[in-house]
Amino acid sequence: MSQVFHDIEKKIISSLKDNPKQTPELLEKSTKLSPDQIRRGIEWLKLKELAIVDESKTSIISLGKNGIESFQKGLPERRLLNLLKDGPRKLSELQKELGYIFGPAIGLARKNNWVQTSSEEISLQNLPSELPGEKTLKQIGANQIPLNEIDKNDLLGLLKRPDFIIEDVITTKEITLTDSAKLLEISNSSGAIDVEAKVPQVFVARTHPLKDTIDEIREIFVTLGFSEIIGNMTQSSFWNFDALFTPQDHPARELQDTFYLDGVSAKKIANSEQIKKVSESHKKNWRYHWDINEARKMVLRTHTTCVTIKHLAENKPDEARVFSLGRVFRNEKVSYKHLVEFNQIEGVVVGKDATLRNLMGIQREFYKRIGITKIKFWPTFFPYTEPSLQTMVYNERLGKWIELFGMGIFRPEVTKPLGISKSVLAWGGGIERIAMLKYELDDVREFYNNNLNWLRSATKCQ
Amino acid sequence: MPVVELSYSSLQKLVGKVTKKQISDSLPFLGLDVESEDKDLVRIEYSPNRPDYSTDFGIALGLQGLLGIKTGAIKLNIKKSNKYRISVKPSVSKIRPFVTGIVAKNGKIDDKIIKQLMVMQEDLHFGIGRKRKKSSIGIHDLDKITFPLVYTTTNRNHKFVPLNSDTEMSISEILNTVYVGKEYGSILGSSSQVPLILDANQKTVSFPPIINANITTVTTKTKNLFVEVTGIHKEDAEDMLSVIATILQSAGFTLENVQISGSKNSSPKFEPKKISINPDLANQTLGLDLSTSKIISSLKKSRLNAVSKGKNILCTIPAYRFDIFGPMDLVEEIALGYGIQNLEPTFSPSQTIGRINPVSNKLKSLDQIMIGLGYLEALNSSLTSKRVLYDMTGRNPSKILSVLDSKSQEHTILRNSILPGLLENLSRNIHESYPQKLFETGSVFSLDDPISEKINFSGISAHKDANFTEIKSILQSALKIGFGTDLETKTSSDSLFEEGRCATVIVNNAPLGVIGEINSKVIENYKIQSKVVGFEISLSDFLFKSS
Repeated sequence: MSQVFHDIEKKIISSLKDNPKQTPELLEKSTKLSPDQIRRGIEWLKLKELAIVDESKTSIISLGKNGIESFQKGLPERRLLNLLKDGPRKLSELQKELGYIFGPAIGLARKNNWVQTSSEEISLQNLPSELPGEKTLKQIGANQIPLNEIDKNDLLGLLKRPDFIIEDVITTKEITLTDSAKLLEISNSSGAIDVEAKVPQVFVARTHPLKDTIDEIREIFVTLGFSEIIGNMTQSSFWNFDALFTPQDHPARELQDTFYLDGVSAKKIANSEQIKKVSESHKKNWRYHWDINEARKMVLRTHTTCVTIKHLAENKPDEARVFSLGRVFRNEKVSYKHLVEFNQIEGVVVGKDATLRNLMGIQREFYKRIGITKIKFWPTFFPYTEPSLQTMVYNERLGKWIELFGMGIFRPEVTKPLGISKSVLAWGGGIERIAMLKYELDDVREFYNNNLNWLRSATKCQ
Repeated sequence: MPVVELSYSSLQKLVGKVTKKQISDSLPFLGLDVESEDKDLVRIEYSPNRPDYSTDFGIALGLQGLLGIKTGAIKLNIKKSNKYRISVKPSVSKIRPFVTGIVAKNGKIDDKIIKQLMVMQEDLHFGIGRKRKKSSIGIHDLDKITFPLVYTTTNRNHKFVPLNSDTEMSISEILNTVYVGKEYGSILGSSSQVPLILDANQKTVSFPPIINANITTVTTKTKNLFVEVTGIHKEDAEDMLSVIATILQSAGFTLENVQISGSKNSSPKFEPKKISINPDLANQTLGLDLSTSKIISSLKKSRLNAVSKGKNILCTIPAYRFDIFGPMDLVEEIALGYGIQNLEPTFSPSQTIGRINPVSNKLKSLDQIMIGLGYLEALNSSLTSKRVLYDMTGRNPSKILSVLDSKSQEHTILRNSILPGLLENLSRNIHESYPQKLFETGSVFSLDDPISEKINFSGISAHKDANFTEIKSILQSALKIGFGTDLETKTSSDSLFEEGRCATVIVNNAPLGVIGEINSKVIENYKIQSKVVGFEISLSDFLFKSS
């Protein structure tokens, strides 16, 4: 049976044929492979029973801090003896010159009768050519030496001294070829590659993560029986505000909240009946001078409700489920939680199912489908719905309740003037908020930064 | 939405037997959002249609109802009195025709209540007062004023010591130098005459809707209050006064009436509104089956009065609840009294069949094609800046569509093209690995009776070997696979593209957009270290053809 070998395997086998017993470190040098490649190559050959790995443990010793100092400058007692070569010296002088090694040096020298001391002076008595331990210090030097190569008697004294000798055990591996491997003919041509090696990252082309959330929401509403309507982002104030019972002097209509298009007014905003009825409703309920020129001013829609109400006013359905989805605008300072332009979903139900409890039920079903199950409803206020509610959803990651969709039933002051006779449930909210929960973002601006690093790495399948 | 800071302990005192937790659990069900809590203090956001919730007295009334401690409507007890009169001169009729007022006596006036009254006054001014234009309030120390008063006009040289000042100032000086004068002076227009309230000794009490006189300043030494509201509609002025009267009564003051005469004015009546509601409307709207008595008790919990009258329920609404327009508002009051937390959501499967809009469908298919071609989708704002659209790209600005008073420099004009935004995206990613290929579809805007919105489609490719052939192949394939059409490219020039490497995209003999290698100067402006090619075409013709 012919065997296919990886280039790494081939290099290791060839090297071992030349030099039959090698450590991994030696193999690195002889094959010029990386430590990681050698490790894997040996592992493969072992599994194929082509290589034998002998592991042996060896006790080794090396010099500690004081050992190294003695290796470089001589043992403390040797340094003492050297100072006495030219005659006796005063104890106090020597103490100064030798410092902290003076104590151990004089102790040993006295004990071995190398020196003689009087009350003040010290003189040489005999000078051995080699002191105990000196042979071993020289032998070890800066290396690690197997314990079995050392003269145990000479070592003994050093072992007792602090920080002279470090003992350790190392494991060495030696690789040899098995007999069958020695017989292998290694050819240079093989199809094998390093399948375990690291490869470069490639980036997938994809839709924008926010778009994925928008599409998901769109599909949920379609499966709930809703049809999508679309409309312009630029709208007359009439449809954005007046038709929704927001009086012309209401603070929400001011420049500081709404984007008005500089010098752009619509000539035709609605049919004369619609204009007449809407303005009458305003005059009667809000008591102010309704000005058609104010209604003509073009704005960037502040909600998609203008698209919905226009659709309802044109079609006057007895029964309908529609939704619109798209960009809306608010004149806000951009921050981690506010954008000037963001996406909104808005849905309406017209007809016999139009009850507040059903409206709540649709919300609950929607949230369930995007994975939010902990929700509650609180009353709130919108100028064009009555009753009005808001949904609070619980976010586990942030550990708090977050406001999501607002909802309600269109006020009769909205529907009647436009000839809509049936009850209309309406709800809506920002999509970015949902997407932030999904992608665990704390800064909404991230969606429009088009930071390639994020676009390329945000988890797609959620 | 306005925010008010209250303390739990004072709410507990006002509401009666109630725990702090009961209060904090109930606040959201009155429609009040708890913004933040710090031990005893709680910051609450309330709806602008409920100015009575701007003080703890108003919130306490609501909580009492919701918790069933005290239900039914608050009745204003106003002592009839002849002592307090205001006569109105005809000269005000063209400027600020109406005045109304009330006297409140023997309440406890401390720093806390002064602060609450000021907050309530500001919220009323901003909301229903439409920044004092419709109606505005003055609260005075009653004992500093000698009745009867006269509501009249004066010229702009009239002098008095205004609030927070110790020197006399003329009306003109006040309007030109004092903050409130500068802020609200425009309400008075350019007329030489301005409204004024004078007392029996010819002392100035107030210069509505701008500022009170210093002499009537309310301090902790004040015992009795005089409140006046002036405005351009009698009903609005009385609505505003009724909120203040209700709150002052709840705060422990005894109310006495102010008689007003002359020039279409009359004394305030604070008359409750009567609206009748059919129980079926409530049940149908809410999806419930409540008995008439349950509906009545729910209305009472919302601090309204209600009695059964034939098939209907007759509801009495105190004057301060002017947010109630008709029966549908009562449905909401029933829902609140019943308790929103008691409404169980129901779900009835749809009888209708849902449908994605064909435009969305086609755009989604185009997304799939571009992804197949290796392009990453970018999303940019349609509200962008002159810098991105013109300065950086050298494009010729024509008929710019700007918005007024944008708070953000980067969002001042509507885009008429998508490609500059994609170039901007490349410039922010020069440290990321190449090739970088982006596409975007979205709305572009142009002036046209009044504005036309079209959907454009743009793609961009940046890497060291990017070239015309590459980008033309991409667009050609996208259009062929997406819409079954072929394209032609005819030599043209465009400042965004390199001279001689730019073409008009033509489909079915009609120009649709532009394609080419991006001008090296533009690339330099953006410090992009690579060649860039791109295209932008209008999609509207394809998308709307058969939809």
